[in-house]
Amino acid sequence: MIDRKNKPEAKSEINFKLPKANEILLENGLRVVFIHKDKLPLVRLNLVLNAGSKFDPENKKGLAHLTSLVLDEGADGLNALELSDEFDILGSSFNVSTDNDLINLSLQCISENFDRSLELFSKILLKPLLSEDDFNREKKKLITRIMQSKDEPEYLADQIFDRVILGKFDNYSYPVSGYEETVNSISLKEIKNYYKRFFSPFNSALIVVGDLNQGELVVLLNKYLSEWNTIKGDIPISFKSSEPLKKIYFYHKQDSVQTEIRAGHITEKRNNKDFFQRYLLNTILGGQFTSRINLNLRERNGFTYGATSRFQYYKDSAFFEVSTSVGSENTINAVKEILFELDKIKDGITLEELEFAKSSITKKFPLNFETYRQIASGVAGRILFDLPDNYFDTYIQNILSVSKSEVDETAGKFIMTDKLAIVLVGDKNTLLKKLSALPIDMVEVDLFGNVI
Amino acid sequence: MNHLNLNCTKGQLKNGLEYILYQDKSIPLVSVNIWYKVGSAYETKGKTGLAHLFEHMMFQGSENVAKEMHFRFIQEAGGTLNGSTSTDRTNYYEKLPSNYLELALWLESDRMGYFLPSLTQEKLDNQKDVVKNERLERYDNQPYGLAWELINTNLYPEDHPYSWSTIGFLKDIENYTLDDVKNFFKKYYSPNNACLVIAGDFENNNAIELIENHFGSIKPFEANHKPDSEKIILSKNKFIEHKDNVQLERIYLAWPSDLIFGKDDSSLEVAADILTGSKNSRLYKKLVFDLQIAQDVTAFQYSGKFGGQFMIISTARPGTNLDELKMIILEEVNALALKEVSDKELEKSRNGIKAQFISAMQNLDTIADYLNHYNYHLNEPNSFEFDLARYNEVNKNSLQTAVKSYLTKPFVELHIIPKEAEND
Repeated sequence: MIDRKNKPEAKSEINFKLPKANEILLENGLRVVFIHKDKLPLVRLNLVLNAGSKFDPENKKGLAHLTSLVLDEGADGLNALELSDEFDILGSSFNVSTDNDLINLSLQCISENFDRSLELFSKILLKPLLSEDDFNREKKKLITRIMQSKDEPEYLADQIFDRVILGKFDNYSYPVSGYEETVNSISLKEIKNYYKRFFSPFNSALIVVGDLNQGELVVLLNKYLSEWNTIKGDIPISFKSSEPLKKIYFYHKQDSVQTEIRAGHITEKRNNKDFFQRYLLNTILGGQFTSRINLNLRERNGFTYGATSRFQYYKDSAFFEVSTSVGSENTINAVKEILFELDKIKDGITLEELEFAKSSITKKFPLNFETYRQIASGVAGRILFDLPDNYFDTYIQNILSVSKSEVDETAGKFIMTDKLAIVLVGDKNTLLKKLSALPIDMVEVDLFGNVI
Repeated sequence: MNHLNLNCTKGQLKNGLEYILYQDKSIPLVSVNIWYKVGSAYETKGKTGLAHLFEHMMFQGSENVAKEMHFRFIQEAGGTLNGSTSTDRTNYYEKLPSNYLELALWLESDRMGYFLPSLTQEKLDNQKDVVKNERLERYDNQPYGLAWELINTNLYPEDHPYSWSTIGFLKDIENYTLDDVKNFFKKYYSPNNACLVIAGDFENNNAIELIENHFGSIKPFEANHKPDSEKIILSKNKFIEHKDNVQLERIYLAWPSDLIFGKDDSSLEVAADILTGSKNSRLYKKLVFDLQIAQDVTAFQYSGKFGGQFMIISTARPGTNLDELKMIILEEVNALALKEVSDKELEKSRNGIKAQFISAMQNLDTIADYLNHYNYHLNEPNSFEFDLARYNEVNKNSLQTAVKSYLTKPFVELHIIPKEAEND
């Protein structure tokens, strides 16, 4: 019989080898990171372009996103449907997505179809059709999609929170999809200009993970991407975040049976300092199921299905945020408990909590390198934030070397309860009066985060 | 394609617990995945949602594992974990560095064998609140969130176990007692009603010894309760209208269809793909691409052990009438029944499905869950090639027959429309 009382310990150390990443510079100037992986006959390819929605001009919010939506609607003699069929017949999946920092073109295919799939990929990248018809259709679809998002409480809370904490002079404060009015004003000419300005080898990086050899890959990349050579130049952009005062920003959504809660403030950028300290701090505070905030709001109080906190890092901006949704009747108590946890962590963490967080993060490390997609995303993150080549090699050591006093100091400095903006999305008929019980100023806001 | 031929070892303990071992040493991780042969279909009216609530309770600790510690131990070891409840089964799984395999087995065996002593009213009350909030967050406070429930209460006969949703009705959730939870455990959570999969980096001999040590002493009991499921016959079309806080109108069409792994199951899946699976699929091209009267359209075959349904869902653009969408949808469905599909359409679907199978092999959790899935339904875990062959064997004839047998028959039609329209 075994001893059931005590948990079994690890039997031995595991032997995890980081996938090896090779840097290649193509003649056209494109930076390529290649990782050979032959567990399955698959190739995963991600092209990241420094062209995300943060570059959207004023009154043209949604331009980057709409560009990415029109991009794969036909290329080099193939119309949108023919192009889509070509990928389908190969069983290859092609995708374009946009976030605040990047436009990401991704391709996944069976190795034997890599040549043809890459050829199609290159057509989209180098010779997109960008036709009037496709533009009009995609634009109409995007405007309808934005209209639909007014139904979604999480989306609204996020959109309002971003705007409230970052302020209207920070380009990161706008939704990636833009607003109905701004998307409506975008012309095909602007899409074409955006494409010309941002889609260049000097403004992107290519990550390839898969079952092929490097020589083979370079030949194919040169074959299909060598003509891609446009302007090289800096793309200037400025960011000026505002600093809101501690306040509740309330958005009325008729008939809500829950309240979406976001609470947070802007913070130092990722690379400025204390990244690992902040990561450990947040793991203890709200990054996991067993973190303080979730144990309090969910496992002790039953206010919610889940509650988390995070440091959200963009390339040129960052914020700290607690988020949850709670049954309407628990709104006030949930806000109080969030404030309680944020105050409490400033009193310091325990050594036990720190050891737990370190153990969890460092031992979980190999799980981040299981799938082809995970490996590619890891490299993409390293590229976005200009992290050193040995970033993953030194990662575990960097976590382990953080001390309790450093985390305590980080909590004192980076959790700013006096600057906390609290966004609530719920039904004002059931909530507004009760909210006066909280000793925090409150304003009502519209969809855009403007005070009304 | 040998990537889909997974060499497994299958065995059974004396207490009836089945186990399946699959080695993959490409990365030092291991997945542990248990299926209990019980889901919401095994509930009774008035006690809906109990299987799912029970899944929550299984994370609340057991005799040797205090509340919160199940999560804590796995996370401390660098692992990830969760569970899920469907109509037919409940699963629990963790993936962790392979040197912590025994930790996962200890935790899973403790809650399989020694769950009841640690159950308290306080834990139940807490998780009832959590589940109520889960329901609010995922159904009641979501646009179109009640659609599935509205369709299934109308599509299935009143006492059919698929007529209620897995999350359960709010009223039922509020009324569970500690005895309900205890009795549920005593009825279904026996080792002979479960199957344990271990996939990843380990040695078979060692794993079998660990399974024996941790699970071997758990006492089995009679757990052979099967739900009553009458055959689903819809004698005429049903129409339901529901008003919700939404901007756009949406139409749902639902037909009773074949069971999982039934004769027509894979043909219906391919039919769904031909209708809406890609940009150049029939309905997507017509409604979204050419006419631009719909924002989206999606079709799928959802099949389980006790019932199946084929669904088509489409959201109308502002200014479009749902009847217009319905007319075109039914035209295209009828076209599939009347005329053979093209070779190209079949080839696109097959190739896409084959690529999905290979892609799924990247993740140990997915592999482990599939092994349990195949074992549960087919009694053979290594059925990836068999399953893929089902799709490859779909031909013009079988597809046409399947569409005729199911999709030219009566259906349930649900319209979800904006509340503002009330004053029209």
